[in-house]
Amino acid sequence: MSEHLLEAVDVSKAFGGLKALSQINVTQGRGELLGMIGPNGSGKSTFVNVISGALKPDSGDIRLMGGSIYRKPQHVVARAGIARTFQAVKIFGKLSVLDNVLAGALGHEMSRADATELAKASLARVGLNVDLDKNAGSLGLYDRRRLEFAARLISRPKLLMLDEPVGGLNPEEIRAMIALIQSLREECGIFIIEHTMKVITSLADRVVVLVNGRKLVDDTPQAVLRHREVIDVYLGTGDA
Amino acid sequence: MRALIIAFVVATPLVAILSLRDGFFVFIIGIALIHMLWASGLNLLYGFTGLIPLTYAGIAGVSAYTTIHLVMAKGLSFWWALPIGSAVAAVLGLLLSLPAIRLRGFYFALSGMVIQSAITIAFVYFPAYTNGDTGIASVPRPTGFDGRGIASPYMELVLAAFVAATVAGVWLTMRTRFGHTLIAIREDEDLARAMGINVTLNRTAAFIISSFIAGIGGGLYAHYIGFASPRAYDVLISLNIWLMVAMGGRGTLIGPLLGALLLAPLPYLLVQYTWIKDVIYGVAILLVTMFLPQGIYGYVLKRGAKS
Amino acid sequence: MSDEHILVLLSVLTSGLLVGTIFSVVAAGLSLIHGTILLPQAANGQVFLGAGLLFWLFGTEFDWPLWVSVPATFLIIAMIAFATEATILKRFYPLEDRNISYLIITLGIAQILSGVYTGTIGKISDTFQVTTPFPGFAMIEPVPIPNTRLVAFVLAAAVLGGLMAFLRLHRIGRALRAVFQNREAARLRGIDTLKIYRFAFLLGTMITTAGGILFALAFALDLTVGWTMSLITFSIMIVGGPGSVVGALCVGLVFGFTQAIVSVFADPTVSTFAYLLAMLAMLFIRPSGLFAK
Repeated sequence: MSEHLLEAVDVSKAFGGLKALSQINVTQGRGELLGMIGPNGSGKSTFVNVISGALKPDSGDIRLMGGSIYRKPQHVVARAGIARTFQAVKIFGKLSVLDNVLAGALGHEMSRADATELAKASLARVGLNVDLDKNAGSLGLYDRRRLEFAARLISRPKLLMLDEPVGGLNPEEIRAMIALIQSLREECGIFIIEHTMKVITSLADRVVVLVNGRKLVDDTPQAVLRHREVIDVYLGTGDA
Repeated sequence: MRALIIAFVVATPLVAILSLRDGFFVFIIGIALIHMLWASGLNLLYGFTGLIPLTYAGIAGVSAYTTIHLVMAKGLSFWWALPIGSAVAAVLGLLLSLPAIRLRGFYFALSGMVIQSAITIAFVYFPAYTNGDTGIASVPRPTGFDGRGIASPYMELVLAAFVAATVAGVWLTMRTRFGHTLIAIREDEDLARAMGINVTLNRTAAFIISSFIAGIGGGLYAHYIGFASPRAYDVLISLNIWLMVAMGGRGTLIGPLLGALLLAPLPYLLVQYTWIKDVIYGVAILLVTMFLPQGIYGYVLKRGAKS
Repeated sequence: MSDEHILVLLSVLTSGLLVGTIFSVVAAGLSLIHGTILLPQAANGQVFLGAGLLFWLFGTEFDWPLWVSVPATFLIIAMIAFATEATILKRFYPLEDRNISYLIITLGIAQILSGVYTGTIGKISDTFQVTTPFPGFAMIEPVPIPNTRLVAFVLAAAVLGGLMAFLRLHRIGRALRAVFQNREAARLRGIDTLKIYRFAFLLGTMITTAGGILFALAFALDLTVGWTMSLITFSIMIVGGPGSVVGALCVGLVFGFTQAIVSVFADPTVSTFAYLLAMLAMLFIRPSGLFAK
């Protein structure tokens, strides 16, 4: 039996009295593009934070390619092969474009020469064609999102977790971003959080629906769209 | 402008030493040189890594007292005592600060303030090695080739050599992968962690190096002025060395040197009005924090980059 | 237990109570400012000292009557606090991690103040003993207590009681607590956070000033008291929990008694050492303090 890429088993996380995640079970197979949707505050970002090690879960188990990453420190999880982006793009605003991508290699084993080569390749991969010395903070949102991708790809992650990657982009940029993410499927596993149905349905093989920290549905996008409770939850928000 | 500042920082001490050869102003230059060394060390931790170590002076003090003890009580040569004293100080500083290094900036700084206060109390109330508030006098100059204490202006030239070596060391460090990692941590420690960087380990390494430099400065200082007292290694001293880095230009090589050269001589020039130096330093802290956080040299660099 | 022992015990208890209450007052001022604005006031001890020095200057050196020297002290410090808040502190309110900037700034202010004290009032004398407006002793069997200390204790307790009542009952006091508990929520509820910050800073400074005056009444001052008090009250605040007046009260009393007991056997600095250790332990283990919500 082949190993799953990611296994989250009965993962729970509470903040004081607030149960952010209640016994979440999620499995992602290799080569599968998994999506997670849910209303604001349903626990999506908490889930990514817990999987990537930024937050420690209260209970459960988490495995990457069969190896346990449960409660491992964030930098260890990153080195094991999980890279994540942030809802509000996180880059080093005061450093150059090249330095931003190179930074993604600092925590990993590779020589400076290799890193520079890979950095240029990653930037080409995401289609970011700007001066390498340009200050990253001066880039527009779409370029910054792509820079964030490049800084993750340089470490050749096994799993790339994207937290609302199309937030704030115009329709043309969203189309381009969807195409980019599609093309990245062959390189690493992709996990996307979104609250826009359209993006999820055009990309995901499977969708997990999270509501109030609980998993509501786990199925193909088409099945999820027809699911009665999902319709109830999203009724009136006009996102479908 | 940039070249002017570099020339000023490098030339002034050398010119003063070589032309005046001895006397009060050469002494002031010597004091400034030691502070340049201290500022460079603190800059590694503050300017490049983003932590404010308020324990800096206390660590320098531990080295000073250790070096004095080895030289005066154990008869060791200064040149052996200095690295040993600095290593002891670095290790002690690390042990005391270890739990604090994983804390966020403010809590690290606050912990530093507490630890430094405890160190000062220890200096005053455990007089076995320190002679308490009375201090230790007649600390000898480091011995030269002739076996006797190095006299001015050679002593100041030795100090200048130490400064040059320290600056070179910091420059080399910042070019390594380690140096780049420190900058990433300074810019955004959460992002650095998410990208696989072991923030705590790297900060600890920077802390050790920085503390060792503090210790070198401490040993040199005590043996240069010939005196050691707990007040010379107190929290305000840490703060004032921080000011030299901040006002000069944190995260640059020249900035700390400039800040030290401008500020360190003040207490000695003010003579019996030393209390004015506290007012000047305090006001400088306010002005730098409010209006010029990148420091004088940092501002000059930024202006130069725009044109 | 012999009479002598009872005497020592009672005198330790009374002095512990007095010192502890004054500690609590000064720590409450500090805690209020940090809890509301996220401003760690490292110059708190120097404000405390300044209040005591001004009170000595007006009341003893210039020999003004109580009803002039006390308001004059409060007024001068209020004006300086207001000016400082409006020109310097206000600039940092929008910053997320302003506490580190404030720590440095207030350390700088502390340095300025300590320099000014040394250069001005420090020239007049080394120690400053206020001639008490309340001479004589009261007998609390079998310990004689100087009236001045009795008055200081009662007033300190009154300040604390008044502060707690204010925070619980008065509209503005409740707004302060709301801001402390959840800044965002308070703003959404329509509370003008800028005005609250200014008020909190002034109120906290006035409370510390009261503590300084009361301390000057009960004990003698010297210029080192400022830093020592800063360390002690910071410890109290961190251990008790920033923003918690109850925390400041409880921990302050514990520290006060500790000081009194330790002073019987050893140098009071030993207790300062212990406070620093306690603060450090709390910072590492539970930075929100013992009495955090």
